[in-house]
Amino acid sequence: MSIETNHHIESPKEKQNRHKAMEAISLLNSLREDFKAPIESMEYFYDLFERVHCKHESLHDDKTKIGTMCIQIPSEIIYALDGVPIRLCNGFYTDDEIGSDFMPQKACPLVKATVGHFASNNFTDKPDIVFSPTTCDQKTKAGSMIESFGYKFIDVDFPRTKDSEASREYWRRSVKQFALDLSKFQGKKLTKANLKNAIKKIGYAQSLYNKLSDFRKNEVVPILGLDVFLVTNAFFFDKIDNWIEATQKLISELEIRAKEKISPAGKASPRIVYTGSPPIFPNYKIPQIIEESDGIIVADETCSSNRMFNDMVAIDEWNMYDMMDSMSDKYLKACTCPIFTKNEDRIRRVIQLVRDYKADGVIYQAFAGCTVYEMEQRSVLEAMEKEGIPILYLESDYSPSQGGQLSTRVEAFLESLKTRRRNKK
Amino acid sequence: MFIYTEEIEQNLLKKSNMKNKIRNFINNGDLRKVRFWIQLVSFVLFVYGGYLAINFGSSFPIFTCPYNQDVSATCYLISLQHQLALPSKILFSPAFIPIFIGLLTFLAWFIVLNKAWCGYMCPFGTLQDWITSLRKKIGIRFSVYTRHHFEQLSKIKYVFLTIVLLFPILIGAGVISNNWSATFCQMCPARVISPMFTGDFSQWSIDFSSKTNMILTALGISFASLFFIGSFVKKRFFCFFCPMSALHYIFANTSIVKFKKNGSKCTRCGDCYTVCDMQIKDIADDVISTNILRDDCILCLKCVAACPEDDALHFDIFNIKIFSSTREGFEKRMNVGFNIKNDGETDK
Repeated sequence: MSIETNHHIESPKEKQNRHKAMEAISLLNSLREDFKAPIESMEYFYDLFERVHCKHESLHDDKTKIGTMCIQIPSEIIYALDGVPIRLCNGFYTDDEIGSDFMPQKACPLVKATVGHFASNNFTDKPDIVFSPTTCDQKTKAGSMIESFGYKFIDVDFPRTKDSEASREYWRRSVKQFALDLSKFQGKKLTKANLKNAIKKIGYAQSLYNKLSDFRKNEVVPILGLDVFLVTNAFFFDKIDNWIEATQKLISELEIRAKEKISPAGKASPRIVYTGSPPIFPNYKIPQIIEESDGIIVADETCSSNRMFNDMVAIDEWNMYDMMDSMSDKYLKACTCPIFTKNEDRIRRVIQLVRDYKADGVIYQAFAGCTVYEMEQRSVLEAMEKEGIPILYLESDYSPSQGGQLSTRVEAFLESLKTRRRNKK
Repeated sequence: MFIYTEEIEQNLLKKSNMKNKIRNFINNGDLRKVRFWIQLVSFVLFVYGGYLAINFGSSFPIFTCPYNQDVSATCYLISLQHQLALPSKILFSPAFIPIFIGLLTFLAWFIVLNKAWCGYMCPFGTLQDWITSLRKKIGIRFSVYTRHHFEQLSKIKYVFLTIVLLFPILIGAGVISNNWSATFCQMCPARVISPMFTGDFSQWSIDFSSKTNMILTALGISFASLFFIGSFVKKRFFCFFCPMSALHYIFANTSIVKFKKNGSKCTRCGDCYTVCDMQIKDIADDVISTNILRDDCILCLKCVAACPEDDALHFDIFNIKIFSSTREGFEKRMNVGFNIKNDGETDK
């Protein structure tokens, strides 16, 4: 007698995929449905994330995929050498849990999730080589672990101070070394024309982002902060030409919306500048709470969004070394990552964003375990107090469980901003 | 009454629209072209103006060297040296009035443009920019100083300025002989090079009349040779050592022209530093000073043109922003969005 067994036992990979798809789709559905006046051209981005994270489609079968661990690896050089940059910072709770087996209990969820992703070896676009700038301790140390999983992993020396001339020189050398390493790996020579083209292309993407941001300065903000985070997150892995096209479309739609004063937010919605640990798809927990509680994020100071696009490269003479040096400086000197010894730049930047985008307050998120953001909290709070800018500091992680407590605090803060605005009038 | 106020309002609106239009036009302008033409015109005017009997006097704040007979103005340093070389007795008598007037005339010129005299008017500076364009065409990369060398070499212009001021007084006091007259001019590369514009190569010689002259003119010739080599490999090579630039800086605060920075808008991305011919680091790194004019600055305003942050850098006359950095202007000048497919050198 034979028993026909028709059921299939789910493999760990399948389970991981299923969980990640659930995380992704629940966010995407909420973005599609929970807010009024949805933007049509955002569908490209919703669909993109759905294809990659729910249907596990790969986007770059035909290209060499160059993994990067932080924003400091110049994607201009990667494009110039015919690779596709894939930023591997990870926002999935599923991967965070896998990574927990390798990292200390109190480690940063972003690093844990990234390590977990590597440990599972379950990629839609698997990186052929990974370059990691030695930024924070946890990412730096995670590197050797990831290498031990069998990946080709190269550290790119990154200085922890940025004020000295030595650090500038040091980083310029590091970037040159990175270009050499990658050029060897790709078996392709970096040429002036290629690099110039890549700089132009990234420059164009940056200018699109800045145009997008300009709409958020309007009194009636035509786009959710969540949507903008999604657009900038897509830049981590999307085909750049598709991204450019989709963003152009988005901008033309926003132009119409701005004219017709259509907004997903309410009239009295407090305008928020978001800073701190980066929201990375699908961990949009805090931005989601903010915008579901009638706040609107008008600007951000994070490495998953604004910091990637803000500073454009200028060059006097398009020589190879001038391009390299000018580019390198942007990735070091203009960077407001909290890993640096001092960070007045970040404070100045947040204050300026509040002014430019006429924000009512700042929400500062730090991942529990992201020591540097946790440590910098004090100085930022002090500076904001001095400027008379209301600020809320929140600690969160990737777990889906703490929603209630966080939303109470956010709601109270937003309410206080509304009262403040009313009193001012 | 009601109509009247409305009219005024409309007029005001029109005016402010007009103002914004002009402002945008200037801020979006192609600085390179503007500069090229201003430089060309002033070069012709100052170097060959003599042919047209134009004369701007003898207290000009740029290197318009009278060793070239046809200049339309005279470099102030040469007059200053001659005036200071008067015998000490005369120097401290009422006869010092002409010296004072000379200084006032120099200041009168200077306050109009501040250091923009260097970046836009000085024929010697223009010549260096032309040599730079030649190098660019050939496709050779320029050189830069290391920070350490920069700081060491940056002092040389003050040494030259001391020579300009001190040696004539020593002559007047009878400490050194007349062979030292116009000490700096004898060493100055502009003395050797300027007459060449009108076909006079006679300054490429060493004056053997005395040991002093021999040494000074030999120095002049070596500086002139160095000038050509130097400015071929280094942008604005000589300006870095120019005593006139040092003299300018002493009076920089008297000018109606100010070069300002709003540090709170600066992200320290370093674009301004990248394009700076003079390698002035403060332009990118200093976010505290509002007056960002430094002693090496030639006020060419390339940094303003290369700054992507709105109003972070601006060039003011009477505290009115004449030329400000804007993202829009930046994108236009850098050809952002155009030229994605490489079509050669449209951005030159």
